Amino acid sequence: MNSMPYWISACFSKSVQHKRLAFALCLSAMLPPAFSAESGERPQIGLQCVASGPGPSLDCVVDLQRKDGSPIERAQITLGALMPSMPMAHTIKPVTARPTNQAGKYQGTLLLEMPGVWSIEVDIAAPVREKVVRNLMVETCKGDARCPANPVKPGEKTPEHGSGKGKH
Amino acid sequence: MANGLDPHTVGLLSNMSIMALLALSAYLLLLVGRISFGQQAFFGVGAYAAGILSSMFQAPIVLALGVGMAAGALLSWLLALPTMALSGLQYAVATLAVGELARIILSGWHWQVAAPHGWVGPDGIDGFREIRWLLERDVTPAHFLGWIACALLAVLVLLMRTERTRLGVALRMTGQDETLAATQGIDVIRLRLFAAAAAGALAALGGGLYAHRTTYIEPALFDPMLGVHAVGYALLGGLGSALGPLLGVVFDLGLLDATEVFHGWRMVIFGGLVALFLRWRPRGLLDERAVQWFVQLSSNKRS
Repeated sequence: MNSMPYWISACFSKSVQHKRLAFALCLSAMLPPAFSAESGERPQIGLQCVASGPGPSLDCVVDLQRKDGSPIERAQITLGALMPSMPMAHTIKPVTARPTNQAGKYQGTLLLEMPGVWSIEVDIAAPVREKVVRNLMVETCKGDARCPANPVKPGEKTPEHGSGKGKH
Repeated sequence: MANGLDPHTVGLLSNMSIMALLALSAYLLLLVGRISFGQQAFFGVGAYAAGILSSMFQAPIVLALGVGMAAGALLSWLLALPTMALSGLQYAVATLAVGELARIILSGWHWQVAAPHGWVGPDGIDGFREIRWLLERDVTPAHFLGWIACALLAVLVLLMRTERTRLGVALRMTGQDETLAATQGIDVIRLRLFAAAAAGALAALGGGLYAHRTTYIEPALFDPMLGVHAVGYALLGGLGSALGPLLGVVFDLGLLDATEVFHGWRMVIFGGLVALFLRWRPRGLLDERAVQWFVQLSSNKRS
């Protein structure tokens, strides 16, 4: 127990004061930093991805615009991926989407574990908090070919799902 | 609490904690001698119930999670009523069937209400998007990890304390020899019903947390593989303590998956290990003997 962080060992302690302190620490963690409703308007988010190479790797471009169509610059965007058929089990390392030459467009490459239906998470930390999830069918492309990853209906599976079959 | 961690670590720890809650729900049933391949159904029920309350009715997240847990417990108890008297194998098959039934029902369930930014609610196979409680309150993923960790810690403390009580002894005795337990005056069926309800609540808590973390759920997420993994983690980690399922999760998600050791062979290694453990160490790595050894060791150190 002595090697554990204090707030964990306090939970197992016989001292009532320690337990109260641990409870207070947990409670403070649960208090949201702000209770105010969402501030600012929601951005419009476009996502286009193409698969290539082994893995396959998925090159994604995020198009971030305000409602009036003007591009949003200097955004902090993280791209993540999960497999709907096995949530929490395929840990794909999230990547930061970097700004491209075009205003409001950001690019990032995810290295996936297998072809199939993937949920791509676009997580925007600034200038507004936003998150969207898009389901894409990712296929393995043979050679140097680049195959667009098209949106799919959630739950849809194709014969290529997880089979590693590729296309030109 | 979790500030300063990179998004990958935050995501991994959040997933591991949520998966541990699901594994603990499978563990509770294994403790009373029942194996369930349908805990993903209650995970899904909790996810949908909590999502509906927080995003369609703007309920506070704690209330949404609480109602989700109650829904999971109630459904699990209702399922257990007619099936708990069955043999272990029949019960396992029944849970698998219920898991699939729940997924199919969720696939055909449409109920949406108007929200400021469009329609929100379950939309059949298209899933349930816009579970934005955390986004609207600017709760970061790292901050939410703190909440998830606290929930997991509270569950672990509660279970570990319960195991030292008469209830805990009765649960374990029921799982190891139900005839002997009955002769000791334990109402085996009632105790198993209680375990099923508690397991349903735990799985639903995991589901509610997952829905809010990802902001999006769909029926395909609640695949039988999710329930099978939960059982696998409990069996691999061990049934000697509530820390066992957590150990199983850390081993698979934290070691095999995250570090990409045995890349591409992970599921083969994990499945093979579960099979080996079932043959050579049926109650897992942290079984009763291992726990006893640790207790002995710590009491020797103290004295």
